[in-house]
Amino acid sequence: MKRRNRKTLGGLLLLILALLVAGCAAPVSAPAAPAAATEAPAQEGGFTIGVSNTLVGNGWREQMICAIKAEATASGLVDQVIVVNRNGGPTEQIADLEGLISQGVDAIILNPTDREGLNAVIEAAIAQGIVVVAVDQAVTAEGAYVVTNDQVAYARIGAEWLFETLGGQGQVVEMRGIDGVPADTDRHAGFQEALAKYPDIVVSAETFTGWDPSTGAQQALDLITTTDIDGIWTSGIDYPVVEQFQTANVPFVPIVGADNNGFVQQLLELADDGLVGAAVTNPPAIGAVGLAIALDALTGKNPEQVTLLTPALFDTSNAEGLQGLYAPDQQVGWSTYVNIPPYTSYSGSADVSACKAPGE
Amino acid sequence: MTNRLALPHHPLLRTLWRNSWVLGVWLLLFGLLFWYSTLIPVFGPFQIASITKNSLPLVYLAIGQAIIVVAGGIDLSLGALLLLSNVVAARFMEGQPAGVVAAIGVALVAAMALLNAFTGLLIHRSGVPDIVVTLATSYIWSGLALWILPSPGGGTAPEMRWLFTGSPSGIGGSYWPPLLMILLPGMLVALWARNTRPGLTLYAAGSSRTAAQLAGLDVRQAKILAYALGGSMAAAAGLATVAITGTGDPRFAVGASATLNSVAAVVLGGIALTGGVGNLFSVVATGVTLIMLNPILIAMGVNSNNAQVIQGVLIAGVMMIGGLSTFLRERQS
Repeated sequence: MKRRNRKTLGGLLLLILALLVAGCAAPVSAPAAPAAATEAPAQEGGFTIGVSNTLVGNGWREQMICAIKAEATASGLVDQVIVVNRNGGPTEQIADLEGLISQGVDAIILNPTDREGLNAVIEAAIAQGIVVVAVDQAVTAEGAYVVTNDQVAYARIGAEWLFETLGGQGQVVEMRGIDGVPADTDRHAGFQEALAKYPDIVVSAETFTGWDPSTGAQQALDLITTTDIDGIWTSGIDYPVVEQFQTANVPFVPIVGADNNGFVQQLLELADDGLVGAAVTNPPAIGAVGLAIALDALTGKNPEQVTLLTPALFDTSNAEGLQGLYAPDQQVGWSTYVNIPPYTSYSGSADVSACKAPGE
Repeated sequence: MTNRLALPHHPLLRTLWRNSWVLGVWLLLFGLLFWYSTLIPVFGPFQIASITKNSLPLVYLAIGQAIIVVAGGIDLSLGALLLLSNVVAARFMEGQPAGVVAAIGVALVAAMALLNAFTGLLIHRSGVPDIVVTLATSYIWSGLALWILPSPGGGTAPEMRWLFTGSPSGIGGSYWPPLLMILLPGMLVALWARNTRPGLTLYAAGSSRTAAQLAGLDVRQAKILAYALGGSMAAAAGLATVAITGTGDPRFAVGASATLNSVAAVVLGGIALTGGVGNLFSVVATGVTLIMLNPILIAMGVNSNNAQVIQGVLIAGVMMIGGLSTFLRERQS
């Protein structure tokens, strides 16, 4: 009897909760009523954009989402940006994409978790007239637009600059990212391509930083205090490495990094102290490029199916270019290369870091 | 003191009152579904199929967890078993005809039942708490999964995908196959547990191990049986995952979050973590509810980073309702 009573009571309370939930439904439903027309091609504007990301708390990914929002606002063609952002694998992303389809979005921009696993849902979206753009990593689904940074070129351009700066000979260190991750594999291939052209360059050490600043800093400190190094190539863990030269009070050697704000600042401020280096771009603003392509497709401008962004290089001899990148108000990890002509139309880092979608 | 919540006398009403928690969670789910349908432009077959199939892995895992919890245990390795089943299926089903795929599926369910039965035996024999043993085995199964499939890949037969998703491509098909696949196992297991001798033994052993032993029930067998059923449900969850995604994903985080969600679904389902109490059919509704929360919150325009917070608040809220009702009952008697 006692147990039954408790369960009865619990059930009653749950029932009340259910009724409350159902009761709440009525007022909330009112503003969500207008359905987006997905079939009409070459619309003029008022689009709803869905964004799917499955790595939360990563600075690069957050900046990617903010770039999409900023570009949506700047374009003037977007009414609403719906961001689905949670940690997960293909299972979660399929559910998220189906949720976006259910909401009647006009276009979906996703950073895919899997090359092939999402194809069925992407193709189902396209069949319903939704424009799908995969950014940062590719998908093989038919009809999807793909926008990626050229990771092979990222490493090749930087490495060639380094080897050229060293006069074609010397001992260099290759500080990679995470073993087995596609971006790291591609970058290593690019590094090897450059290395093949400079037979007198010797790779004296190869490390995996895990793209973690503190790990990279420790490795750099060990290397510069124990071995003889002529140059360093990094896969984006750059400003912590430069800091180690200052900590150990060792003269700088030429160094290649990414367009991180902290590194750009060092290249500008430490140039007089003898720092020679180059920042190679790997922009999270690729999200904004994805949005621009989605809007082109929606307005009937037939953009290219595959867009490969070639990285740009800014070295210490190009102070003006570096000054253009430097964003004094942002964190050290901020990716400074936010304006990607001809795709982006927002005004720069300030717009992106404001992270405001239309109506927010 | 008088009992203000007297039980109704009509037999049908009595049955309804006795299962009021199940009723409550199902009503909650239908309330949420109704709410969701008003938030989105169209609510039709696509949405029903989508919600049902995406809920399958969690619902299966939650049923498995519920059986083990009812029998007085808890299994932190179920998510890892899901991973293992998912990668074995994806690795060996790729490019195979439907017959071979079916055989692999059945073999997987049987093998995982055996594997987890062994875990149950180990717990019973060693006297080490369930939570410790299954935490250890969860690392073993996750490691094994990575060893079998080092990076995402593999595949399965279209027939297998149809069985769980209603479509050979995994999306946009009929909603009947996933609907049946989500309701049938839960119903069967719930009926079995309430109406057969081994099923009732699970409840007895979970409620009070000593009392069950003194009553002449085989407590050891009950524990092994519960873990075996839990293992087979985890295998089914892995098969559903490969049917939905068409690939295997060996990442540890996937299994770990699946385990936690299965415990959440069990708790929401009114199944006491102390064992011996609860209706297994309620976890079907709570599993779907947990999956539904994310799209609903997104459709409401809630920042998706906050979705998890709200999920946690909901679980805490339901737990407090349970606690409050216990408190009131004790005041009454």
